[in-house]
Amino acid sequence: MIKQSIIENVLEAALSNGGDFSEVFIEDKYVNRLELQSGKIEKSISGRDFGIGIRIFSGLQSIYTYTTDFSEEGLLRAAKRAAHAIKNGTNGTIHPLRKEMVLPIHQIGQMPKNVEHARKVAVMRKANEIARNYDERIRQVGLRYIDEEQHVLIANSEGKFVEDTRVHSRLSIQATASDGLEMQTGFYGPGAHAGFEFIENLNLEHYAGEAARIAITMLGADECPSGKFPVIIDNEFGGVIFHEACGHGLEATSVAKNNSVFANRIGEKVAPDIVTYIDDGTLPNEWGSLNIDDEGEKTRKNVLIENGILKGYLIDKFNARRMNAEATGSSRRESYRFNPTSRMTNTYIAPGTSTPEEIIASTENGLYAKYMGGGSVNPATGDYNFAVSEAYLVKNGKIDRPVRGATLIGNGAKTLQLVDKVGNNLAHGAGMCGSISGSLPVNVGQPMIRISEITVGGTKGE
Amino acid sequence: MQITEFQEELLSKAIDAGFQEAEVYYERSESFQCMIFEGEIDSYETSEEGGLGLRGLYNGKMGYAYTEKIDEDSIPFLIKSAKANADVLDEDDGSDIFGGSKDYPNHTFFSEELANIQITEKIELIKSIEKKVLAYDPRIVSLNYCVLQDFSGDRILANSKGLSLKEKKNGIVIFISAVVKDGEEMKTGSFIKLTRDFGSLEADKIAKEAAEEALSYLGEQSIPTRRYPIIMRHDAAASLLATFTPIFSAENTQKDQSLLKGKVGKKVASDIFTLLDDPFHPDAVAGSNFDGEGVATKTRSIVSNGTLETLLHNRKTAKIDGVETTGHAHKTSYKSTLTIAPLNMFIAPGEKSQDDLIASLDNGVLITNLAGLHSGTNTISGDFSVAATGFHIKDGKISSPVKQMTIAGNFFDLINDIEEIGSDLHFRPGGYGSPSLRVKELSVTVD
Repeated sequence: MIKQSIIENVLEAALSNGGDFSEVFIEDKYVNRLELQSGKIEKSISGRDFGIGIRIFSGLQSIYTYTTDFSEEGLLRAAKRAAHAIKNGTNGTIHPLRKEMVLPIHQIGQMPKNVEHARKVAVMRKANEIARNYDERIRQVGLRYIDEEQHVLIANSEGKFVEDTRVHSRLSIQATASDGLEMQTGFYGPGAHAGFEFIENLNLEHYAGEAARIAITMLGADECPSGKFPVIIDNEFGGVIFHEACGHGLEATSVAKNNSVFANRIGEKVAPDIVTYIDDGTLPNEWGSLNIDDEGEKTRKNVLIENGILKGYLIDKFNARRMNAEATGSSRRESYRFNPTSRMTNTYIAPGTSTPEEIIASTENGLYAKYMGGGSVNPATGDYNFAVSEAYLVKNGKIDRPVRGATLIGNGAKTLQLVDKVGNNLAHGAGMCGSISGSLPVNVGQPMIRISEITVGGTKGE
Repeated sequence: MQITEFQEELLSKAIDAGFQEAEVYYERSESFQCMIFEGEIDSYETSEEGGLGLRGLYNGKMGYAYTEKIDEDSIPFLIKSAKANADVLDEDDGSDIFGGSKDYPNHTFFSEELANIQITEKIELIKSIEKKVLAYDPRIVSLNYCVLQDFSGDRILANSKGLSLKEKKNGIVIFISAVVKDGEEMKTGSFIKLTRDFGSLEADKIAKEAAEEALSYLGEQSIPTRRYPIIMRHDAAASLLATFTPIFSAENTQKDQSLLKGKVGKKVASDIFTLLDDPFHPDAVAGSNFDGEGVATKTRSIVSNGTLETLLHNRKTAKIDGVETTGHAHKTSYKSTLTIAPLNMFIAPGEKSQDDLIASLDNGVLITNLAGLHSGTNTISGDFSVAATGFHIKDGKISSPVKQMTIAGNFFDLINDIEEIGSDLHFRPGGYGSPSLRVKELSVTVD
């Protein structure tokens, strides 16, 4: 993308005022986005993102600059502008660059760039038809297709020089149902670190059908009551609750500065024995997977909590310094515009032994969250909130009736202690996670779990 | 390659390649950001970036493409991609490239004074804020964010119909979040301000405000779960308004995605509710002299004393509804297609102070912050059920912070249930403003 000799000069210029580490991240990304609404392709845009991020460490100070000016003068000017932040240092050392080969774990079948729009549109039309035909009360179907082909080159003063290509494909389906009085929506958004083969092989009957079914189910649903109940959260995207409630608190971003309830607690019991929590960026072709992270480190399987014991954190190169620990292949950024930091990839609760039927049958009075919406967390306090997109009341061990407008609130560390059932049906769901280094594709996953008590906020009152 | 040269070449090559009309939208910006942790610069960031989007009418349909790599090779890429994107659209949707408004407002969104402030002065300011917050009270344990960011940029919109518009803007943001601890209880409180007036950023005042906000949440109590009369503080009210903005978009009413369809001229809110969009409001930093299509902007009233006066339109939706565009075509950046958004929308302030509003409740809740707005709200139905932070009001006074809550209701009901509007209009960064509101009641669930 840019000549090696220029990269070497930039790495050197970055350390010209001192500092002990410099890094160049070059990104060249092609994007296609298509939208179908009211049965028609209404939006289609393509583009090329291109820019360079330069990073310098000087002890516990991190300096970052980025530019879209790819000329040698432009890059050297950016490097010097960043170096300017360091004073009274001596020249840092640059090791000769050694080209590393990336072993691709995630095979890409069809590069989206080589696939005509017409084939992408055909899939969208089919999904639209399935959702519309589900029920006559489906009034609107919105489809978003996106593919991204991101080429990165990462080089640093320690001699690293590595290139990689990441391909992401996703189809999001939103169905709106109306009975003339009210409107409800259902959503499903499968995605993968894969090419067009992923989109073409999608089971559209399932995904588009589910989006429509959720909207229709919620249309007839009662308002959700408020109070404290046992809550059963189904597998797949249900894992978003632990992503927010404890995943963010295990990122070095919060841990390094003691701004997390999980800081300084390695080896302590933070959850019941049945809870094992893992972040694994190597799962083949999963939405949150990568061959290498955005610092050029190989991704890996990081066990965060094992049988209830806190085992590790997600750590990037910079926070590793403050924490006196090793980086875990977890450093990510949305683009060259972001200083990378520790983030999740595919995070999930490992499967247990209970069957979903057993879990529901053993719940006398509670809430069953079949599909979760999004949520957020305050990482310092661990207070979280979630919307439930499809919920049911559970009565005497049976699923009773659907309810809408359920919101779950609580504290991550406390909720983690209250997990009392872990199912055997692990599955992963795709989502976007927003934090300080931008918006990233991540998977959340879990088998069906039960939490003995969560505060449920509803519209109906107690 | 010079940008004006590149723009001209791209426009002429696009016309040669068969586009009937074309537009180039260019943005360039620079920024500086620094984050302080325990007296030291923890992170220091600068940037210089630019990108450009091509929008063109090809066989009657609008094709889009963008690039951040501005070089000779990008021209064929942009033209080929924009053509393919036009081809795939189902039909001519009636959009075209705009020839220009007769007159344009001439407000400035750029402060020379701010542009001349040295980086060292900015670093000193943010360092001194951190120091003052930490010294304010022993219960303040750290600042999990202590950030200063400034930006400046310009944009050019030029098209084959001879329109060429330019605008410059800059601004500076301070964001602080303080972590407070008392025994086992841990809370955070934050402060954010976006301004073009560097002199208005007084370290003592900012530190005091951030510290007191965080400390005020210590000593939380639970209150019974039920419906309560609500005071929605200005910042919480503005974020709720921002979330429900899509209901005012004509694009959404035309697609059956907004319940305001067919409501223009009708009563949709309480008599005291007036909603304005003022791209030039002196207290807001957002704004512009022209919209995403190049249409001149102006101050408009969206809802006037409860009656919906207009929806937000771009030229395409206006044509469909048989009205004039309101100048609300929106381009988030050169990377995006045109959508609809307000420039700087806010609820018009009333007479009473926040304290007066609080004094008017015997047993109510003051909501100061909402979380989970991206997931707990349904802009189609208007339903919301979101996490909230706030205080219990008893006998006209704040009695204690309340444990984590959720509040639930419906936005369309809420704007009808506004009983009193405060005088404390505040804008949040990003261009939405509100005074504090007294709302009849909402369902409150307490942890």
